[in-house]
Amino acid sequence: MTATTPEGLQADVLVVGGGMAGAIAALAARAAGARVVVARRSPGATALSSGAISVAPHRPAHPDEPLFARRGPLDAARAVAATSPDHPYARLGLDALDDALAFAARELGGLLAPALERPRVLATAFGSAVSAALCQRSMEAGDLLAVRGPLAVAGLAGHLAFDAGLVAAGLARFAARGGPRAHAVAVDLPAVVAPAAKPYDLARALEAPGAAEELGEALRGVLPGGAGAALLPPVLGLDPAARVPERVAAAAGLPVAETLSDVPSVPGLRLQRALDDRLREAGVVIVTAAVAAGWAAPGEAVDAGGTPVRASAWVLATGRFVGGGVARRGTLFEPALRLPVQAAEGREAGVHLAARPAASLTVRDRRAPQPLLSAGLRVDAGLRPLDERGRQVHACLFAAGAVIGGHEQATDGTGLGVAILTGWLAGRAAAAAAR
Amino acid sequence: MAYDVVVIGGGVNGTGVARDCAMRGLRVLLLEKTDFGVGASGNSSGMIHGGIRYMLTDRKVTALACRDSGYIQRIAPHLLFRIPFLMPFVSRGEEATLRERAEWYGAEVYVGTYDLFQPLKRGKPSARLSPDELYALEPGLRPGLRGAVTLDEWGIDAFRLCVLNALDARARGADVRTWTEAREILREGGRVRGVRWRDALTGEEGEALAPVVFNAGGAWSPALARRSGVPVPMRPGKGVHLTLDRRLSNYGVICAAVDGRQIFVMPHESESIVGTTDDDYYGDPDDLEATNDEVEYLLEGAASLVPDVRRARITRAWCGLRTTIYAYGPNEDALSREHQLHDGAAHGAAGLLSIVGGKLASYRAQSEEATDRILELLGRPPVPCRTHEEPLPGGDEVPDPEALAREWPVAAPVAARLVYRHGSRAREVLRLVKEDPRLGLVLCRDEAILAAEVVFCVRHELVRRLQDLRRRCRVGLGACAGVDCARIAAQLAGRELGWDADRIRAELGDLLDQGWRERRAIADGAQLAQEELLRGATGLFEVPG
Repeated sequence: MTATTPEGLQADVLVVGGGMAGAIAALAARAAGARVVVARRSPGATALSSGAISVAPHRPAHPDEPLFARRGPLDAARAVAATSPDHPYARLGLDALDDALAFAARELGGLLAPALERPRVLATAFGSAVSAALCQRSMEAGDLLAVRGPLAVAGLAGHLAFDAGLVAAGLARFAARGGPRAHAVAVDLPAVVAPAAKPYDLARALEAPGAAEELGEALRGVLPGGAGAALLPPVLGLDPAARVPERVAAAAGLPVAETLSDVPSVPGLRLQRALDDRLREAGVVIVTAAVAAGWAAPGEAVDAGGTPVRASAWVLATGRFVGGGVARRGTLFEPALRLPVQAAEGREAGVHLAARPAASLTVRDRRAPQPLLSAGLRVDAGLRPLDERGRQVHACLFAAGAVIGGHEQATDGTGLGVAILTGWLAGRAAAAAAR
Repeated sequence: MAYDVVVIGGGVNGTGVARDCAMRGLRVLLLEKTDFGVGASGNSSGMIHGGIRYMLTDRKVTALACRDSGYIQRIAPHLLFRIPFLMPFVSRGEEATLRERAEWYGAEVYVGTYDLFQPLKRGKPSARLSPDELYALEPGLRPGLRGAVTLDEWGIDAFRLCVLNALDARARGADVRTWTEAREILREGGRVRGVRWRDALTGEEGEALAPVVFNAGGAWSPALARRSGVPVPMRPGKGVHLTLDRRLSNYGVICAAVDGRQIFVMPHESESIVGTTDDDYYGDPDDLEATNDEVEYLLEGAASLVPDVRRARITRAWCGLRTTIYAYGPNEDALSREHQLHDGAAHGAAGLLSIVGGKLASYRAQSEEATDRILELLGRPPVPCRTHEEPLPGGDEVPDPEALAREWPVAAPVAARLVYRHGSRAREVLRLVKEDPRLGLVLCRDEAILAAEVVFCVRHELVRRLQDLRRRCRVGLGACAGVDCARIAAQLAGRELGWDADRIRAELGDLLDQGWRERRAIADGAQLAQEELLRGATGLFEVPG
C-alpha cells in the first residue's frame, strides 16, 4: 500500500487529475501492482459528459444506412485515425484499444452494462442517435437496436428540459433504418417532485421511497399498446444503489431507460462517482488538491494541498480547458509543469502557434474543428510529453486524456475513448517505469 | 397593399418613425431584413445620454438631447437605469503639472455646465471628488489618481427599445414584417411608388405601394438607395464593445486609450461593458466581427484605470456600424454625430427620404422630425406628435419587483429583471406561470430568464427565429453563452411556432453561430473553458443521424 510517512505520501505512481483518464491510469497502474496516489483539484470534466462512453463518432456511409450496419468502436476509431493524423488514435495506434475498453468495462462493471460486439445506438435528449462502445445500465434498454416493439418516449410534466414530442420526432427518422417506432407520451411527476425542478434535484427526488414506483405506475397508465420499452429523461436517480430505473421498470411493467444527457449531466455525475468509488476500493489514495509541481521532476516531492507527495513516475491527466490541464492567458500554457502546448494541428507550425491571437486559432465555421480547442501537449508513442524540440521531457513522466492535444475532445465524440486508451497505456507505462 | 409610407429598417430610427407615423394616422409598413436592432441601434453602448459633447459647439443640441432623454424616461421608465460616471483626474508625474490642473479644472467647469441641463433628464448634479472619496466609491481603480468629477447618465436595453417601438407601431395599425428585405425601391416618373420585398424565411415576395419610402436601413441604406440611383453619402464607423461577465465597478469610469481617445468601462444590467472603438469601415455590413487588435486596444485603455479588467472574463466582443454623416478630412472621432435627412427628389426619386447619422438618445426627436417631413411629402396637414407623451408597451407603470415577488410565484431578482425588460407587462408574463407552473423554470441564472418569458415573447413580440430571442429577452447572451437556456428556449419557441425537430435543430445551430461570431476573438482564460463546455454540451445534438 501507499506509505504515509512524516514526510508525506510515498508512492510508485502519482496521477494528477481524477477524471476518466486519471482514474483509468490509476486503476491500470494499481492493477500492475503499483502504489498509486491520485491528486485532483475537483471532479473531472467526465462529470459533465453524456454518461455513455463513445469511442469515435459514427459517420454513416449513406443517409439510409441501417442502424445495425454501424461499426464497432475499433473500426470507427480507425476511421478517425485515417483522416486526422494528429489525433491520439493516429499517433498512438489502436492496438491496445480493445484491451483498454475491456479493462474499463471490468473496473466499472457495477455501473456499466456488459459490452457487446456491436455499438450501442443510444438516443440523446434531442432525438439524435449516438453510437457508444459502453453505456450505463440505466441506458441499456434504450438501445435502439434492442427495443422490441414501439418505444414510448415519456416526457415528465414539470420537466421542460425534455421535450418528448421532439425526441420521438427525431427518433422517427431511424424507424426505417431498423430502429423502433417512437411514440411520445406525457407522465405526471410524483407529488414529491417540485415543478420546474432542475435535473439534479429531480434525480434525487426520484430516489425517495415510493417516488420511482409512483412514476412507473403513472407511466403504465399512458403506454401505447405493445410498447417494448420506455425512454425517459436522464434523471433516473443519481445513486445506482437507489435502483431508480429498475423500480420504475417494475412498476411500469416494461424495460425503462434514460437518454444521454447534456450539461448539467446526472449520468455524467454518476460516472464520476463510480470512478471515485472504484479508486477507493482499489486502494488508491485520493488527495483533493491542485498539484503545484513547479520545476520538480518525477522522483522529487511535490506539494498537493500541503501534503508532500513523492512518486517515481507521474501521469498528467489534468484535462483540457474545463479540467484546467491547459489554459490560455494571452498565450497557451500548461499550468502544472509548464510543458509546451501545441496549439494547432499543423505540425510544421508547432508550438509557436501557441502565442497567436485567439481569432487566428479559430475558424469562422463554428462546427468546423477549431485549432485552439484542440490544443494540448504533444506526446511520443509511449505517452511521454515532448518539449519544444520534440524530445521527451522525462523518462518517468506520462500524459493521458484531454491534456494531450490533437483532438477536440469536447466535440469530436472521441473524448472518453481517448481518455480510456491513453489512461490505460499511461498507467501501465508509469507502473513499469516506477519499477 | 397600399400604404402612405414604407419604412425600411428595424433599428431605432425605423421603428421610431413607424410608431410616430402610425400615431399620426398614416398607413405604415415597416420592413426589417433580419430583426429589430441588429445593426447600430442594438450594438450601441446602450445609453440615453444628454449629448455633453455638443455643449462646446451648440448648446441647443445638448438641451434637445437632454429633454429627449427625459421624454424616453417618461415613455419607457422601466427600461432605463442610472449609470453615474467617474471622470478620474490622472497625473503622469509625481506632482500634477499646471497643465493637468488646468485640465481638471476645465473638466469640472464642463460637467458643472452640463448640470444646468441635468434636470431635463432627471440627472443628478455632478460632484468633485477628493482622492479619498474616489477610492471609497471605487476601490478597484488604479492607485495614484488625484480625484474625479462625476457625471450622471442613463443606460437602456437598446434592442428592447426598438422592439417596443415596433410593437407599439403595430398596435396602432402599422404592418410590421421582420426577416423581410426591401429588395428594390420602385420608381415611376421621378417619384417612388413603393418597394418590392422578399420574406427571407418563406421566400414569399410582394410589392408594397406607397408614395413615400423612408430609408432607415443604417449601414445597409446606401447600397439600397444606390440600386435606385440615389446616392446616400455616409462614412460608416465600426464600433466594438466588450462585455465582462459581471459588474466590475458600480460606476462608469471614463478612461483614455493609448491614442488619447476617450473610452469607458461601465456597469450595464448585470455585466460591465468596455467601449468603444471608432474606425472607418469599408467592408460588407453583414460581415462584421471584432478583431484581436480591437479587443486589445480596449483592454489596454480600460486597464489603465481599472486594472482588474485584465483578469475579468470577457464573454462577448460585439460590434456595430455607426452611420456617420460623410465628411472628407476629419478623423473618425471628430465626425459629427448629427443626423441628416436626404431627399431623393434631385436624383429622380422624389418621396424617398433617407436618414443618415444620429444618436440612439435622440431617436425620438429624429423620428418626430422625419415624420413631420413625411407628412409634408404626402401633402398632409401637420398633426401634432405625441410620441413623447404616450408610453411604450409596458411603460405605463413600473411595478415594484418585491411586491410582484410576493404576489406571484417568482423570486425577487427574477421579478426585477422581468420588470426591467417588460414593465407593467411583467404581470402578463407571470400570469403564464400561474397557469402552468412549469413555466416558472429559470432558464438562465445570469439573465434571470423565465421559461414563461420566452413563451410570452414568442407569442407577443414578433419572434420568427430563435435568435430573435437574443434581442427580446437575452437568450444565449449570458455568461454561459446558452449552455443552460439555448436548448430549452429552442424547444419552447418550437412548440409555440410549430417547428419540427429539424427546424428546431437548425434554429439552435443558428443561435449558437451568432454567439460564436462574438467570441472568436476573446477565447481566453476562463472564457475558453466556457467555450469548451458549451461545445461539449451542444455538440451531441449536432451529430448527424
